[in-house]
Amino acid sequence: MMETGILFVVVFLICGLGVILAAVLPDRKNPPALAFVASLATLTLLWASGRVLFSDHAIFNSLWRVTPLIRLSIEIDRVSSFFLFITGLVFFPVSIFSAGYLKKYLGSYSLKSFALFYHLLFASIVLILIAGDVFSFFIAWEAMSILSYLLVNYEHGHEENTRSGFLMLAMSEAGTLAALVAFLIMAKTSGGIDFGSLRSLSLGQSARWGVFLLSFLGFGVKAGLVPVNSWLPRAHPAAPGNVSALLSGVILNLGIYGIIRINADFLPLKDVGQGLTVLAIGTLSALIGILYATPENDMKRMLAHSSIENMGIITAGLGAGFVFISSGHSVLGGIAFIAAFYHMANHSLYKALLFLGAATVDSRVGGRDMDRMGGLIRKMPWTSLFYLIGALSIAALPPFNGFVSEWLTLQSFLQCSALTSKGVKIAFALCGAGLALTAGLAVTCFVKAFAMSFLGMARSEAAQNASDPPHSMTIPMGILGIYCFLLGILPTYVIPQIDHVVVPFVHESALDALVPPFFTVGEGNERFPKAFVSEFHDLGAQVGSDTLPGRGLVIMHRGSTRNPVIFAMSPSYTIIVLVLLLVSGIVVVRVLTRKRALARRAAWDGGVRRLAPTMTYTATGFSNPVRVIFNAVLRPVTIQDSKETIAQHFLNAIKKDKREIHLVDRLFIRPIIDGGRLLAAWLGRMHSGRVNTYAAYVLLALMIVLMIQMLA
Amino acid sequence: MHIIVRHPLSETTIPCISRLIHAADWQEREIEDLFGLHFEGHPRLGDFVLHEEWPEGVNPMRTSFDSTRVYPHRESEPAWGPQTIVEAAGAFMMPIGPVYSDHAESAHFLLETLGEDVLRTIPRFFYKYRGLEKIAEGKSVDQVLLLAERFSGTSAFAHSLAFCQAVEGTIGAEIPKRAQALRVFLAELERLRHHVAAITGICQSTALAVATSQASILEEKILRLTCRYLGHRYLFGLNIPGGLSLDLTDDTCKGISEAGWDVLEKLKKLQGMLRFTSSFLDRLEEVGMVSKDKAVSYGLVGPVARASGVLRDLRVVQPYAYYGDHLKFYVPHEEEGDGYARLRVLFSEAEQSINLMHQVSASLPAGPVKTRLDPAPGSCLGWVESPGGATFHWVRLGEAGRVLRYRVMTSSFVNWHGFHLAAEDFAFQDFPIIMATFALSNAECDR
Amino acid sequence: MTKWVWKGLQTGIKTTAYPGSPETAAGVSPGRPGWKDPVERKKIMSLMDLCPTGALRPTEERISMDYRRCIHCFRCRRFPAEPLDWEPGYEWGEIVSNQGNLGKTFSNSLHIRIVDAGACGACLSEIGHITSPYYNIHRLGFFITPTPRTADVLLVAGPGTDHMRLPLEKVFEAMPAPKRVVAVGTCALTGGIFGKSFATRAGVGEIVPVDVEVPGCPPPPLAIIHALLVTAGRKKPPDAPSYPGTEREEGRS
Repeated sequence: MMETGILFVVVFLICGLGVILAAVLPDRKNPPALAFVASLATLTLLWASGRVLFSDHAIFNSLWRVTPLIRLSIEIDRVSSFFLFITGLVFFPVSIFSAGYLKKYLGSYSLKSFALFYHLLFASIVLILIAGDVFSFFIAWEAMSILSYLLVNYEHGHEENTRSGFLMLAMSEAGTLAALVAFLIMAKTSGGIDFGSLRSLSLGQSARWGVFLLSFLGFGVKAGLVPVNSWLPRAHPAAPGNVSALLSGVILNLGIYGIIRINADFLPLKDVGQGLTVLAIGTLSALIGILYATPENDMKRMLAHSSIENMGIITAGLGAGFVFISSGHSVLGGIAFIAAFYHMANHSLYKALLFLGAATVDSRVGGRDMDRMGGLIRKMPWTSLFYLIGALSIAALPPFNGFVSEWLTLQSFLQCSALTSKGVKIAFALCGAGLALTAGLAVTCFVKAFAMSFLGMARSEAAQNASDPPHSMTIPMGILGIYCFLLGILPTYVIPQIDHVVVPFVHESALDALVPPFFTVGEGNERFPKAFVSEFHDLGAQVGSDTLPGRGLVIMHRGSTRNPVIFAMSPSYTIIVLVLLLVSGIVVVRVLTRKRALARRAAWDGGVRRLAPTMTYTATGFSNPVRVIFNAVLRPVTIQDSKETIAQHFLNAIKKDKREIHLVDRLFIRPIIDGGRLLAAWLGRMHSGRVNTYAAYVLLALMIVLMIQMLA
Repeated sequence: MHIIVRHPLSETTIPCISRLIHAADWQEREIEDLFGLHFEGHPRLGDFVLHEEWPEGVNPMRTSFDSTRVYPHRESEPAWGPQTIVEAAGAFMMPIGPVYSDHAESAHFLLETLGEDVLRTIPRFFYKYRGLEKIAEGKSVDQVLLLAERFSGTSAFAHSLAFCQAVEGTIGAEIPKRAQALRVFLAELERLRHHVAAITGICQSTALAVATSQASILEEKILRLTCRYLGHRYLFGLNIPGGLSLDLTDDTCKGISEAGWDVLEKLKKLQGMLRFTSSFLDRLEEVGMVSKDKAVSYGLVGPVARASGVLRDLRVVQPYAYYGDHLKFYVPHEEEGDGYARLRVLFSEAEQSINLMHQVSASLPAGPVKTRLDPAPGSCLGWVESPGGATFHWVRLGEAGRVLRYRVMTSSFVNWHGFHLAAEDFAFQDFPIIMATFALSNAECDR
Repeated sequence: MTKWVWKGLQTGIKTTAYPGSPETAAGVSPGRPGWKDPVERKKIMSLMDLCPTGALRPTEERISMDYRRCIHCFRCRRFPAEPLDWEPGYEWGEIVSNQGNLGKTFSNSLHIRIVDAGACGACLSEIGHITSPYYNIHRLGFFITPTPRTADVLLVAGPGTDHMRLPLEKVFEAMPAPKRVVAVGTCALTGGIFGKSFATRAGVGEIVPVDVEVPGCPPPPLAIIHALLVTAGRKKPPDAPSYPGTEREEGRS
């Protein structure tokens, strides 16, 4: 539709306006201007992508030809609009947040450049998602890589930020190269570089595997999958708070976008082995991510590891979907894809919320070490509330959004009983168990994150003097919290939209298998017979059919007559019941105890004179059991373990220090680097320094070239 | 060996010896708090007996101190912070007490940990400090006898015996043989009850309910036996300077030691069952180790030291009362120094006590059970191997039988000093078990 | 573990029948001074010199016995040629405050927090025995709690040392109403042999308000159980002296 296209142009124009304002306005006025302009741009984007997402009108437009071979085009279909919508949802509150947050950089770094990079990054992300051909895709991709590097390295005064940013850039380029090679393999066969001609190619088996591996690992770098995600735990904490929210909430999704485009859209995976690879790598990433998140004390690094975990869950869901589709079970594959996409949306929202919360705490307390926080719930009540919502969501607890998507993912794994191959079923069982372990560790991790930072006693001066930030920083967190809540209690309105997104890959709608139309089916139809409907009507599944729109409020997967309901739940009804129980509980307690006197006292501490903060649990202590249990995996290296005494009797100090090297670094990256060094050292022997040897090399090279020429 | 150091009142600094003789560590800290003498070179002085709210510069054991009035605390709220020893990221302390557990005595412990293992125990005592040695000054021997008996009720007879021996030694009195023999009899009866109570405590700490009940039944049997024949469940009011206040007939003694054999039989059955309960042994074996070197350097005493291979028992080394050539017994000891070794020592010593009681009742000398004493000035040391270990009472008498100075060195004070050796690098759940295997008394330590 | 179960079953029931019926076994209580006939004045004066804590006081022809000061030294029993009579028994608990017992709500369920305010081991040992198989307060519905937050009764022993003043106050404040304080042992009532000094208050009454008192040095477990039953309202405290010719000194109210 023309109108929607114009809206996209407007988005770019506003970004351009933002760039101009960034250059023109003084540093002090830049944050509010950024917030205003960027909010405007994101709202426009939401409107525009929403139109495509909810109305099934895709946009194809070819722009101009650069050379006869390269023609730039735009393609906005439902998949892109889904990603665009999520991008808009996340960018909106982050932009508002920046107004207050960026004040802390006033005077030390240039806010003009921040605003410049910010608007350009936004534009480049939108471009990636609307690109219709390989060339524009990669131009926008490179722009996005460089701009995100510039933003990660914003506080360039600290050397480790530069190192982390550089690592991110280097690995990102390596991934980009791999993905580019994958695209080129496809383009070589298809002849054209626009997305339309890349679809449904016929390639040989080995070429398909090549494309799969290159694109999966190449885009996997950006998505933060094991074993190519070493940059993630370093880069996310190094960036300023609002940029970390964007990195985790928006840019990681771009990796998934790339994987989906190639492996679900252009060249759908036909081999079960490929799907299993995706599944296995997803599960591994999830496990390793949460394993390193739980003992981590730096709040932002913990969230970065947790992003790896969530990306792993999304990838595992995608892998399950691929396996189902290539085995012929399209509906089950659709369910798995819906779960993965839902989880992606959820992750963007609650991770952005958590990162904004971490940024708020950092700006108020001046540090990210959870061992130095504590008691912030009394000083920063609003931040604590929203952080709690984020923590509950990421720990997959009802009534928030994480619960729905993780539950759906695990349920889709359980459907592997429909498959025939025993090996595949065992793989599914193992991965399901791995994800269950991940879920358990995630609860531990976020109980620790919330409790150690916000509850208990303040463990440092700075934590004691903290205060709530201005509204411009708490309102965005509130907005994200509301998103999390809404997506948690209204899943039956979200799933149909995601189903529309997924149908082009799965070729069959899974909606009837997930959300029965209790509201719209009336007496019954041939898929949902009258007996079935009336049975669930008695259970209350049609409550609200007169007043509420939509298909129904129950998520249910039906089975055969022997096992009529395979899984079912309804967060919408659950929240109503929870609220009723809570309210009635409060009323009952108030009525029963109205005659009782209430006395408030300090916590019982065994009668000590004063309970010092050193006598309360630290974050390290809380997560130590996990360290001990997984000692064989984490393999900490003891740097110091000594006792100092005076006169060999009066104990003066016991010093203990341990360092851990990341598992992926130890097993994967380090061997590659060491191997590379060895190879370089061996080859270095060629540099003898003598001119005669070099002349001989030249002669040798000439002879080899001549021989090849003659043989070819 | 008796060393006397003369020091002018004006100088308050003395070089410390605890850098070489580690056992002197706590004694120097106590003297610093109570007398105001500064030990040069001791790195940990201050805040030992008198807690932080005690006014500065007022030292209770000085002769000029008035012990009858209450001293106001410091005006401002004093901040007390323990010295943290563990230097590691995320280390913290778990506070225990002073009010904790069911009927545990008041004491405060800070366990420094990184979250799983406890690396270091910092104890804080003297919550039960009653100023025994000071309030004894100026009182008559009869009144101080009551103080000596009642400051630690679980070893009342042993403490009163040590005090009586100190007073009798000052006067140089000759105590009747029957009194000496009965003193041994009753001291061993007290040791038996104390050790059975300690065994009850160990079983209770490991939550072995039936064993706890069995040991507790035996303890109550002994208490009722004691009360029936001697008037009081804990042997209060028996020792007086010059002998005993109550005479027992030979038949009564035989009756008590017969009942003792009965208790021994049940005790042996209990030990036999505990030896083969692996879940119980798991909690005791190799838990709370005290090595022999450390036991020697800290000067530990009693069953705790004997379980680490330090074979010292005042009944053998410095016999008193009827001990010596009249009675034959051996002193049980073990080498490992862990909780199970201490438990085995407790069982063996209980058996030896019943053996000794039987020997005494079989050969009880005839004669009076007390002699009249006229107190005279002088000073003397009295010693006793109490159920917890070596105990010393030193008394200086003045005119008319008034006590001028009184000093008590208890086994619990010495052994609590060494407690942190056992309570290092263990899991938090083992803490009450290690404490139970030491079977120490805070009342005895704090005086 | 079956051998332990078998052992427990073999041992049978050892628990006393008290308070259903009085306990008559020998050695359950040291007893305390008591007498059946009025005593001559001369004898009174010599006996009074013997009592180290001043528990024996003269009034006219009689001796007034302040059990709250008796430390069981047995001197009035063993030293004189004609010793005082001795009264067996263990029901020594008395209510000394206006609040009375805890009432019907708590009569079958009492939760107790024990605090040691400087006690020598004997009182604590006797308190520890109330959960032993012979006495077993659990059958009465009484339990010991690890925290004062869920406690109804504060059981204190010891003369109230200076250093335990703050912890004891904190424990009392941490207990929710309704609550009662039971002071166990002569030290907790009047300071015992330690009295009032720079290190001890003469009893815990100066630190927390005491509701029920149990004299004795130490009071046997049955006396402590009796005091708990009085606190729970299941036993009436003795309000009249048992023997003619004696007066019990009025307790504090």
